[in-house]
Parts: sequence; structure tokens; C-alpha cells
Amino acid sequence: MKKTRTFSALRTALTAATAAVLAISLAACSQTGGSTTAGTSASGDQTTFTYARSAAVTSLNLWTEITSNNAFAIDKIFEPLVSFDKNGKIIDWLAKSHKISDDGLTYTFTLRDGLKFSNGKNVTAEDAVFSIEQHQAEKDAALPLTADIASVTAPDEKTVEIKLNSPYTPLLAELANFSNGIVPKDFGGKSEDDFFANPVGTGPFVVSKWDKSGDLTFTKNENYWQKGKPGITKLVYKLVEDGTQAVNQLKTGQVDGIEDPALENLDELENGNDTKVETAGSWVTHTFFFNTADEHFSDVHVRRALAYALNRSDVTKAVSFGHADTAKTVLPKAIEYSTQDSIKPVDNDLTKAKEELAQSKYPSGFDAKILLASGNNAYSQAAQLLQSAAAKIGVKLEIESVDIATFRSRFKAFDYQIMINSAQADYPDADSIIDFQADPDGFSKSYWTSYSNPEVTEELKKAQVTPDGDERAVLYEKIQQTLADEVPYIPLYSPQIVKAVRKNVTGLEVLPNNSVRFQDVKIG
Amino acid sequence: MKLSHDRLPSTLVAGVALLIAIVLAVLIIPLVSPYDPTAEDISSMLQPPSFAHPFGTDQLGRDLLVRVAAAGRVDLALMVGVELLPFIIGTAAGLIAGYYGGWPNRVITLLSDALIAFPFYLLVAVVAFVTGTGITGIFLTFLIMGWIIFARTVKGATASLAGAEWVESARVMGFSDASILVHQMLPNVLSQAVIVLVSDMVALLVAIVTLGYLGLGVTPPTPDWGTMIADGQSFLSTRWWVSTLPGCAVVLVGIALALIGDGLNDARRQS
Amino acid sequence: MLLVLVLVTIGVFLIVRLVPGDPAQMVLGLKARPEQIADMHHRLGLDQPIGKQFTSFVGTLLTTGDTGQSIAYNVSSRALVLDRLPVSLWLICCSAVLVVAISLPLAMTAALHKGSWVDQLVRIVPTITLGMPEFWVGLVFVLLFAVTLKVFPVGGTQPGIDGMLYSMALPSLTIALAQTPFIVRSLRTRILDVLQSDFVVTLRAAHLPERVIHRHVLRNALLPALQLYGMKISFLVGGTLVVEQVFGLKGVGSLLFSAITARDFPLIQAIAIYCALGVVLISVIVEIAGGLIDYRVRGGAEQTTAGGVA
Repeated sequence: MKKTRTFSALRTALTAATAAVLAISLAACSQTGGSTTAGTSASGDQTTFTYARSAAVTSLNLWTEITSNNAFAIDKIFEPLVSFDKNGKIIDWLAKSHKISDDGLTYTFTLRDGLKFSNGKNVTAEDAVFSIEQHQAEKDAALPLTADIASVTAPDEKTVEIKLNSPYTPLLAELANFSNGIVPKDFGGKSEDDFFANPVGTGPFVVSKWDKSGDLTFTKNENYWQKGKPGITKLVYKLVEDGTQAVNQLKTGQVDGIEDPALENLDELENGNDTKVETAGSWVTHTFFFNTADEHFSDVHVRRALAYALNRSDVTKAVSFGHADTAKTVLPKAIEYSTQDSIKPVDNDLTKAKEELAQSKYPSGFDAKILLASGNNAYSQAAQLLQSAAAKIGVKLEIESVDIATFRSRFKAFDYQIMINSAQADYPDADSIIDFQADPDGFSKSYWTSYSNPEVTEELKKAQVTPDGDERAVLYEKIQQTLADEVPYIPLYSPQIVKAVRKNVTGLEVLPNNSVRFQDVKIG
Repeated sequence: MKLSHDRLPSTLVAGVALLIAIVLAVLIIPLVSPYDPTAEDISSMLQPPSFAHPFGTDQLGRDLLVRVAAAGRVDLALMVGVELLPFIIGTAAGLIAGYYGGWPNRVITLLSDALIAFPFYLLVAVVAFVTGTGITGIFLTFLIMGWIIFARTVKGATASLAGAEWVESARVMGFSDASILVHQMLPNVLSQAVIVLVSDMVALLVAIVTLGYLGLGVTPPTPDWGTMIADGQSFLSTRWWVSTLPGCAVVLVGIALALIGDGLNDARRQS
Repeated sequence: MLLVLVLVTIGVFLIVRLVPGDPAQMVLGLKARPEQIADMHHRLGLDQPIGKQFTSFVGTLLTTGDTGQSIAYNVSSRALVLDRLPVSLWLICCSAVLVVAISLPLAMTAALHKGSWVDQLVRIVPTITLGMPEFWVGLVFVLLFAVTLKVFPVGGTQPGIDGMLYSMALPSLTIALAQTPFIVRSLRTRILDVLQSDFVVTLRAAHLPERVIHRHVLRNALLPALQLYGMKISFLVGGTLVVEQVFGLKGVGSLLFSAITARDFPLIQAIAIYCALGVVLISVIVEIAGGLIDYRVRGGAEQTTAGGVA
């Protein structure tokens, strides 16, 4: 073919192409210097903390919401009478002190002095009474108060009194929940919907800009009762759905912190030049659950055989990168009465595993399926480890991976044999986990395992009314040992609560429920 | 397709050679390797490439070299298996639509237009949710979507042939439509369809890999390049080998198939 | 074309309800009590028979053009889609510009120097990106250009047109790299075909200047490439998901992903219907553009361009 020099069509095309490329690269260059940096881009007294989160805040109604995307925004706006610290210990919060009568029937709280809502109005005991009563009346309450409450009254402006018909020890811990935050009486004259669209509370931050499918910007509550706090003037909840993207934004300073860094990214963030991690003990235990209504897993020997076959510390090692404890019991260490350090677990003994299976209805093994929510790397690794552990005793497990919504519908319909899921306490009391995971009469049917042991049920009911102390400790010790022996589930590991932040961030308080407190945060 | 041996395009030769090399590697490595692709060894997790583990190890301490090879068996077989039915269906649909025109053409066009207008990942997700993630889902998804490209290609080619004089004369000579389609049309349009097939296979492989990234791919512990790349992506900046080496395997297959497609295309144009 | 929209509307409505999973379970969380879930079903009308749900959905769609309230976000699904649309459009447009900017010169150069080393290079190098999944290329770009070299942002968008171009550079290049191999190859083949065709021989015989011939060649070659690209773009509508995910862009793709995960029926329906509308529009534009090119080509000579998509 003949080669040629001039061809205007091509030249036109080339010119256009070059122009386009130039335009883009010019735009790039003009921006290079001023790449937006979060936090430190403080002008004057303005300090902004940008927090990368994987889901948007869709509602701020403290009574009906429970999912963490909303809960950890709500707890920045509303605060309860009592709260908990990073070790899960209950502390006075809006109350300066509290008293529980010896019969366990009367709870008396005395409010702090000088408490104000973010609109400048004083907080009175009437507001607290209204809040608790309103919560009780909410039929869609996500975390309803379970105590048998006779009355909630305000004997004077600073005192709140809750009277019970029968004792209920977890009440104080339940009150520490974000859902028992204090709102102004009668919503300050607004309708409930209007109020929660533009909420007023006692918390350190106030909503200033809210995109329900995107970012939420808080500004500092100028009337906050902790004097001189918060140290930052603006807090941005930035929606960054992809975990790797969030890690990279943190590395370059586009965000100042990440709410849920993946465990596999932690060593990188811990040892990074500009990043560090903050941790706290957790209330979460990742767990294999058995459907005890299934023909195979109704046999306790089968369950024990699998628990013996599995080496839990291998699972911990493979998925947690040094940021988790191998779980030996159903209660994580950061919950009082956990017997993590003393319990005898059914764990890692191949000989015993074979013995157990020999005693079962299926001495020569069987086939079963592990139900798994797709897209969770750690769960997928754990499931593969259980699979090969089971293979060693002749139990053939197949992994069935379905998406999270299908997963939920399936296990809630008891349509599974083994699943991996997380067990989490909502408030710092052993009952929060035990009741949900071992009470066959509750709606969760022992965390959808259908596990039922009348002795355990009786003990857990008794523990609910036994005041804190040795007697309660003994009850929970017995429950934990029975659950460990009968293996309705295999607790695997309790990961630390970890937040990754820029190195120049100080004062971030990490809480065991996976939330954080920002009031002491300083940047720079 | 008539290929004269003295004028085999060099791209075709190179592509076929590369593909043969990949297939051989994938078949032989698991046979000679001392490691089992699914045997975990937590004590040696995430080790960098070494003499013992040339590709390093993954999060569960499994040898990555043997896993990449074993995954190759799965993925290459999947690639061919998944593409076969859409190829046949699409080619048949294209022949019919192109030859007859009229309502068969309209129905096929409408169907393919509607499917293309439907967000691809919605379809993928829906199928995966109904069947559970894994090979069945992948197979169904690409069965639903995959035939379109063949149908369109073959339709165009057939339509341009259908009006030709020799087809007309065949009809006059009393050949049935079926006979004309199979004996006359098919051989003429097949080469184009095959070229599309080869280049579509790469796209398919990449799509399977992407499904793994979205958590909709092959179910563990079956080794699969997509899941391996996805599992390793969080380590990209600290332990590059976990996802880069399986990634390289996909790229190599991509190059081989692209070269073959290119070469076939040249050969067709020369003949 | 209208029929396509109708099919998609019916299809998406049925399909999202066919799939296992419950939006209420997703919104209310793991520990939702059965009463809460039943309550929500009632509020959303999900407890009604499917036929009734469909008629009320189509009714609102036809009378108000609205697609209903998003379940997960509790805002209008149409507003959400329109809110997220600009980012996806930017992404598609920027990548389209890049595809043209990269493919056209490469294909023309290769075709004009057929068989030379330039040609070989053009044919082999793009095939490397062919086998690279977009999410992988995106991740590497982020690590290289954003984290290490710090010349581009890691993700998200920045205000202003220049900010937008700046934020779109890496994501649109990622998409463009995945598409150029097809376009380059198709264009190159086309150009070669046309160069050898009778009408070019005729033009040459008529001693027309080379640049006139090349203009005709390019136009003739552009048509099938345009058709192919139109189809590729159609896949991109709502399919920018992976790239949006990797680069943290709040576009329609990532919205679709979270809507599917949450089983947010109204939102999924809204996205599917608007995307279908987009695809239909694109194919109309491609047809018009094709007709335009074809019309001007016909001034030169008759040249059929059937088949040969590869």
C-alpha cells in the first residue's frame, strides 16, 4: 500500500484527540498542588474531622433505629442518663449519680447541673421522663426496654425515678444504650417527624447538612455541657462504600479516620507513615451457628465432633492479623462475667473429634452445607478452615455462598445447617448476648439455632433478676460452660474494635459497641 | 475458513503458541507440585515468593502457584463451557433473523435491545441471588446475555448474503431454506462468529473475575482467579503477590486470545 | 423502542420480587423483631398481592413520572437517581473522549503502516489491557498515581468543572483502557477493508488527492466502530458500577449496587427504567450519527458495512 503524508481527516481527528488529552491533563496539573486534604485544611479556628463510613445515615430517630450507620450518628446528638467507657464499664453521663434500691425496684438518677440542649434550653427531669415514656410507647422500637416498668416520674427538676414491678438487673445497662437518649419534652413543640429531621439533643454535635444517601455534616454544639468541648468545629461523616478506597483516602489525608477498617489492612495502617490505629475491646464474637433442628446437628455429638475438629486459633490467626482474641465462650472478654480465661472449651482435638463422631448417629460421616454471606473475606476463610477440619473426620461440608439479603431471609426462616454470623451485645450486660442466643422462647429462638435447654433457660431468667455480684457470676459461669459443652454454636474470635486515623489525630475514644467519642479529638 | 499455510498470520501463531503453553502449564503444574491447592497451612500464611513457593502463599497458607494453575483449569473450562451455548444459540438466532427478516428479526432484535437496555449488573446480581453464587449463576447469566453479540454479528453477515444471486439461484433450484441456511449461509458467516467468539472469551473471563471481586463469583474453596484477585486486593500494597500473580494469569490468557482473534481476522480478510 | 422500555419496566418489577431477600430485613437490621417487619411490609404495601403492587406502581409512573420512595434512604427514588446521574454521565463522557483520543490515531497509524512494527505494536500492546479487570486497573492506578505519586485524588469528586475533570481522570482512563482494544481493532480492520475496497481503487484511479481518499476511508470505517461503541456504551450505563466502587464515586452504578444489596425495590426500578431510557437515547443518537456519516459517505461511493464487528 502507498504511504502518504497529508490526510486532513486524520489530522483533524488527531488534533481533537490531543486537545482532549491536554484539557484533562491541564485540569489535573492545575489541581495538583491543592489536592484537598481533610482535617488539617483548617482555616482560622475551624477544624474539621472527616470520618469515612461505609453506609449513609438514613434516619436519626433514636427509638426506631438500630443499624450502626444510624446509631453512631444518633449517639453524637442524643445522650442517655448513663453510658459506658471503653472497657464497657457503666458510668454516669447526663446523670451525675444514680442509685438502685436494695430490692432492685427503684432506680433514682440525679441530673448534672447546667445541662443544656443544643438550642440553649435547660434540660430538666421532665425531659428525661418524656423521653423514656415516649420510647416505651413506640411500637416500632428497635431496642425496647424489657424491664417491667411501673412508672417513670420526676419528683423534682433534677431527679428521675424509675419504679419496676419486678427486679430486672440489665436495666441500667439498657439505659446506657443510645436509644435512651434524652430529647426535649414534647419535641420542643414540633411534630415527631419534624423533630427528627432537625433534631435537638444534649450531645456534642448538631446536624448542619444531611444527605440521606451521602454525607452528613455535624457542627459543634456550642452549648455542650462538657466545657470547652468538642475540640473540633466540624465533623463530616463521609460515605465511602469501598474499604480499600477508604484506606487509600486515609493514607493521602482525604479523610482523617475510618470507621470500619478491614482487619487485613491493619498492619499496613498501623505501620504507615501517616496513619495509626486506635483500639478497644469488643462486644462482638464471630461464630459458627448450628441449626439444631437439622437432623444432623440436633445430635450433640456431631456438634462436639466439629468443634473438636476445628482449631479456632488457626481461624483467628488467618483472619485477624493479631487484632482478635480466639473466643472460648459465648461472652466476649469485654462483657462482665465472661469466663474467657477460665472456661474449658471443646476445641482442637482430632482424637476426641473422632470419638464424638463415633458416638453420634453418623459415625461414618455425612454431607452438609455451610451457609455464608458472600463478599466477606474473613468469613469465607473461616468457612474454608471448618470445611477442611470437618473433612478430617469424614464430614463433607459444602460452602453455599449467597448474598447478604438472601442470607438473612434464609437463616431467619431456619433454612440452613451451619452458618457463620456475628453475635453482638447491644449494651454492656451479659444478658444482651445470653438472652438473644440461648432463650428458645424469644423471637430469635436462640439466635435461630432452635437450641433449647430448660436448665439454661431457667438460669438465664434467674440471672436477669439477680443483682450484680457473685451469685449472678455463678449463674453466667454455668450457662457459659453448658453452652460450650453442648455447642449450639462455635464462637470463633472476638476482633478488637479498631479505628484507623491520621497520625496527627489525638483524643479519639473508641467504644466497645464500635462507636467512638469525638469530643476530645484534636487534630495537629 | 481457508488458511494458506505459507501466509499464516504471525499473530495467530504467537497466540496459539501462548495459549498452548498456558494450557500445558495449567494441566501439568498441579500434577507435579508437592502442594494441594486446597490444603491450608496457617503457619505459613502470606509468605512472599520463595524457592519453596515460587508464587508465595495466600491467607490460608496455600501455595499460590498450584492454586493459580488449578484455578486456570476451572476458569478456562468455565470460559469455554459458558461460551458454547450462547455461541450456538446466538449464531442460530442471527442466521434466522438475517435470512428471513420480518417478524423473526423483529422479535430477536427487540429481545436483544431490551436485554442490552437492562443494567447488566442488575441481571448478574439477580441471577446470582436466585441460584446462589457460583458456577450455575455465571452460566445462566452469560447464557441470557452472551448470545446477543453472536446474533448481531451473524444477522448482519447473513442479511448481506441473503440477497446475493447465488442464494436466489439455490432457492430456484429447489433447495430448502434449512438446507440453504446450514449448507450455504453458515459456512460463510461462521468465520466472523468464531472471531467474535475468541475476543468475547476474554471479555467473559474478565467478567468472571469481576464477579469474584463483587462477591458473586465461584464459591470457595474451588480456586478461581477472580476470587483470588479479590481476596488479595486488600494486600495489594503490602503483599503484592497474592492478587498480582493470579492477575497476570488472566492478562496472559487475554493476550493469547486477543492475538488469536486478531490473527483469525487477518486470515479471513486475506482469504 | 417504546416496547423496549415497557419490557424493561415489567421485567425489572417482576425480577426484583422474584429474588429471595426482604427489604425490611435489610433496613431494620439483624435484630429486627417480627412485628417490626410486618409493620414495615404493611407501610410499604409489600403485603399486597403482586398484581396490585404492579398496577399502583405503573399508575404512579404514568401519571406523575415518579418511581416511588426509596426504602433504604427514605427519599424519592427519582430524585436520588437524578442526583447521582451527573457523576455517571461525566464518567461515561470523559471515557468516551479518551477512547476516541486513543483509538483513532492508533488505528489509523497502524492501518496505514500495515505489517510494519508500528502496526504490530498497536495490535499487541492494547491486548495487554484487554485481560485486565477494571477493578484491578483502578486499584493499581489509585496506588500508583494517587497514593504514591499523589498527582490525582484517591477517589470521590471535587467541585467545579476542573475539579470534576481532575477527579474523572483516573476512573475514565480505567474505563477507556478496557474499551480501546476492541475499538482499535475494529477500526483498524475497517480501515484496511475500506482501503482495499473497490471504491478506493476507483477514487485512486480517478487521481483524487490522498487526503480526500483518507477522509472517505475514515468516514466509512467510523460507522461500524460507532455502532460497536454504541453497544459498549450501552453496557456502561449502569455498568460503571465497578469503577465507581473502586474510586468511591457516587454515581448511578454504586447506587444500583447498594440498592440491590438492600433490596430497595423502588430504587432498583427507578435505576433500571432511567438506564433503559438512557440506552434507548444513545442508540437513537448513534443511529442519527451513523446516518449522518453514511449520508456524507454516499456522496463518494456506495459501500456496505455489514457485519465484521470484530
